[in-house]
Amino acid sequence: MIDITLEVNGKTKTLSVEPRHLLADVLRQEFGLSGVHIGCAHGACGCCTVHLDETPRLSCLTFAAQCDGSEIRTVESIGGPTAEHALQQAFRSEHGLQCGYCTPGFIMTLMPFIEEMVEQKRLPDDDEIREAMSGNICRCTGYHGIVAAVRKAVNLGLGGGI
Amino acid sequence: MKADRPKHIGARVQRFEDTRLLSGSARYIDDIRLPDMLHLSFVRADTAHANIVEIDTSALADLEYATWVFTGKDTAGLSMKAHQDYPEMQYSEQPLLAEGKVRFVGEPVAVVLAEDAYRAEDAAELVFVDYETLPVIGTMAQARDSSLPSLFDGWASNVIVQRQMKGGDLEAAKAAAAHVIKRTYSTQRQAGVPMECRGVVASYDHADRVLTVWSSTQMPHLVRTYISEELDLPESRIRVVAPDVGGGFGVKGQVFGDEVLVAWLAMKTGRPVKWIEDRREHLIASIHARDHQHTLEAYVSADGRLLGLKADITVDNGAYSTFPFTSAGEPGMVGKVLPGPYDFQAYEATFRAVATNKCAIGTYRGVARPSAVFSQERLMDDIAKELGMDPFDFRLKNIIRQFPYKNVLGFSYDEGSYAQSLEQMQALLAEDVTEAAASRSSSTKRVGVGIACFIEQTAHGTPDFTRRRVPIETGYIAARVEMSPDGEVTIDLGLQNHGQGLETTMAQVAADALGVNPENVYVRHGDTLTTPYSVGTWGSRGGALGGGAVHLASLKLAAKLKTIAAHLLQAKPDEIELANGNAYVRDAVQRFIPIRKLARAALRNVDQLPEGMQPGLEAEQRQDGPKDGTYSNAVHAAVVEIDIPTGKMKLRRFVVVEDCGTILNPLVVDGQVRGGVVQGIGSAMFEHFIYDAECQPLTTSFADYLMPLAPEIPNIEVHHIETPTPLTPLGAKGLGEGGAIGPAAAIANAVANALDVGVSCTPLNTNAIWKLSQHLRGAA
Ligand code: FES
Ligand code: FES
Repeated sequence: MIDITLEVNGKTKTLSVEPRHLLADVLRQEFGLSGVHIGCAHGACGCCTVHLDETPRLSCLTFAAQCDGSEIRTVESIGGPTAEHALQQAFRSEHGLQCGYCTPGFIMTLMPFIEEMVEQKRLPDDDEIREAMSGNICRCTGYHGIVAAVRKAVNLGLGGGI
Repeated sequence: MKADRPKHIGARVQRFEDTRLLSGSARYIDDIRLPDMLHLSFVRADTAHANIVEIDTSALADLEYATWVFTGKDTAGLSMKAHQDYPEMQYSEQPLLAEGKVRFVGEPVAVVLAEDAYRAEDAAELVFVDYETLPVIGTMAQARDSSLPSLFDGWASNVIVQRQMKGGDLEAAKAAAAHVIKRTYSTQRQAGVPMECRGVVASYDHADRVLTVWSSTQMPHLVRTYISEELDLPESRIRVVAPDVGGGFGVKGQVFGDEVLVAWLAMKTGRPVKWIEDRREHLIASIHARDHQHTLEAYVSADGRLLGLKADITVDNGAYSTFPFTSAGEPGMVGKVLPGPYDFQAYEATFRAVATNKCAIGTYRGVARPSAVFSQERLMDDIAKELGMDPFDFRLKNIIRQFPYKNVLGFSYDEGSYAQSLEQMQALLAEDVTEAAASRSSSTKRVGVGIACFIEQTAHGTPDFTRRRVPIETGYIAARVEMSPDGEVTIDLGLQNHGQGLETTMAQVAADALGVNPENVYVRHGDTLTTPYSVGTWGSRGGALGGGAVHLASLKLAAKLKTIAAHLLQAKPDEIELANGNAYVRDAVQRFIPIRKLARAALRNVDQLPEGMQPGLEAEQRQDGPKDGTYSNAVHAAVVEIDIPTGKMKLRRFVVVEDCGTILNPLVVDGQVRGGVVQGIGSAMFEHFIYDAECQPLTTSFADYLMPLAPEIPNIEVHHIETPTPLTPLGAKGLGEGGAIGPAAAIANAVANALDVGVSCTPLNTNAIWKLSQHLRGAA
């Protein structure tokens, strides 16, 4: 067992983990974060994406023991229990989700992309948006609503809204 | 003056369920955690066909942690029985854990339980199974070779079932034909792949003899009934809960042996037991889909009239029969639906399911229809080409225009917009067709346009299942609507919501009938404790039948509210209207009473009720499907661009014109269509579950099993025509599956058009396109 300290969604906790414990499992079980989903556990679907020190990472391919001292954010911290973040609201209005299983992964993958676009003050075209989500699989929506949601969120951000 | 009555049905209402899904607070099966819970790991067959010589579990004794292990000896006699009551069908069962023999890679052989999921998996690897391997039945041809041994004792051959359907005079059609066009088409084996894998948790309370099972299922009541019968427990003491379900698509629309097994283990060990499927298990051992071969022979008059059709259909079913739709379901469906939207009156189909050493075929979005429509619509293009006709013109010449239409097998089609949707699509594609024709002269880039025109029998009713003698037996959906003393509404719904937006659309339906807002309606589902018995969500029945049940139950409740209001406002019940949370006297809107006051009167201030009226505000309705279902129709179109030097294909445009009758919520309908289409694109271009000659699976992760990803998919254009059906209470037809039915045919037709070749099979991946475009690269 290894002792590690993680700052998860603003709360710091020290805990003992086995070297092989996946970050996804530790976040789900030790931190009770049910928004971290496992869709493949082999790094191919993006469902488990969280932010590790502000960068999207696949928590199914990351051992918790590697993350000692890191700061982690999950979907629970983005817009609170009523999902108020502009991207979450755009997912709602553009029907960017159906079963919702892939959704936290998409949100965590796309947030930095949207922030980057807003920073660069430009609206990406659909091909670029689709490329930005090429590591995430959604089986329900056909991606159409997700693309529309990203477009809307960037637009909002460019209007100073985000 | 008339009360202004908002209409919620048909409005683009944003989904209520989204908040919990977006915020990470949804609860899926893996989020169910109980004190003292044991975790289960399967030992699965790693060889496709073998006798089990010995299962050695002795290594588990040396572990420093506790484990529990069970094999087929412990579960002897417990099995999945999925038999369609046809005399021709050969009987088989799948034991919960293999007994004596394994018949596909991934078949459960033993289970190991431990207090931690990692440890259970470690321990399962220590179980040693000694197999004596047997030759495999790996192809349709091997399965139809009666000299090869059968997979089950007592079987005469590996043809599980073979039947025929016919109507009209096929010989006469053949004699009258100027053209006979015969082709063979096939569609590959694939998996269903909801993003959430399956999983089961069970817990047994010995004192009260109550079993609770959580399962990621589309059909909680059917799981309850099966467990009750198999484990001999009263159904009254079993509760099955489907929590949030991360996609189903029909894959989770069967009862699985592991659901029974986990329940049995919870009873046996006296502790809660949990099993979460991993992606490899899902891909190799849940259910597979498609894997069809169809040989069609069309008889066509000199002027391009379809006179008759003969079909020979084989489905590679894999080893076992799935419950409740069985191995006979898939080929039977092809036989039934091949006549499609075309007007001809001579038909004969011979269809069979054959057994091989593979995972069983089950229901996946579209169920047999994507394969049937692939063949039907490829054939239409092949005929048009042979006759030198335009594909639209040939279809328009043969399309059904009079309704109701009795088809060659006696099925009655309710009104649709078949010709209109074709014409609308023709107009939408005009420029692409011109561009495609112009690209014919190019040796580097070809553009192709393809269409698929189809109908879908949806919301099947009990008579359809009785006719098929299939263990599903019935198809009704029940809803119970209740108003509490504060005027808020609860719907307990026999459907299960796994992405369809039912918590919103059903609230819209009730709100219209009750004069309240959808926000005041709370929809509960997926729990047999609270919801009335129903078959669950599958077969495109949610909106049509679930919506119908909610509508009619709400109207019953509304009638009682009106009677109370009339009494309190001194009017007649038929003068009362419910709107905006109030009950008004029609033409005198100043005379009104809030609905919540009526609710309070009905449940608490009961002295205010009319003389003799019983307190209470609840109503229930069961809605069965029409005898022949209700037929949705659609035309799909694909525009592809093929780079000849590399064989790379780009799907440029995908257009849908569809008619599912009354639209309850356009946001949801568009989402269902688009999601279905992209699954269909997966079938057409990417997804392929491959076995080698020894029936070893080769595509066991997302690295090998290719899913459609965002960059390869265009935005999907959707156009609607609304032809409400008189056969369901709201005029709604089913729409959940339609999106997935047309893409393989449309894309294949586009490829055939672009390359000027025949296309006889899917998937049309880069490899396939490379081969199909060989002739355009010259001799090189
Ligand atoms: S679960 Fe991590 S990438 Fe699929
Ligand atoms: S919403 Fe179901 S997988 Fe994306």
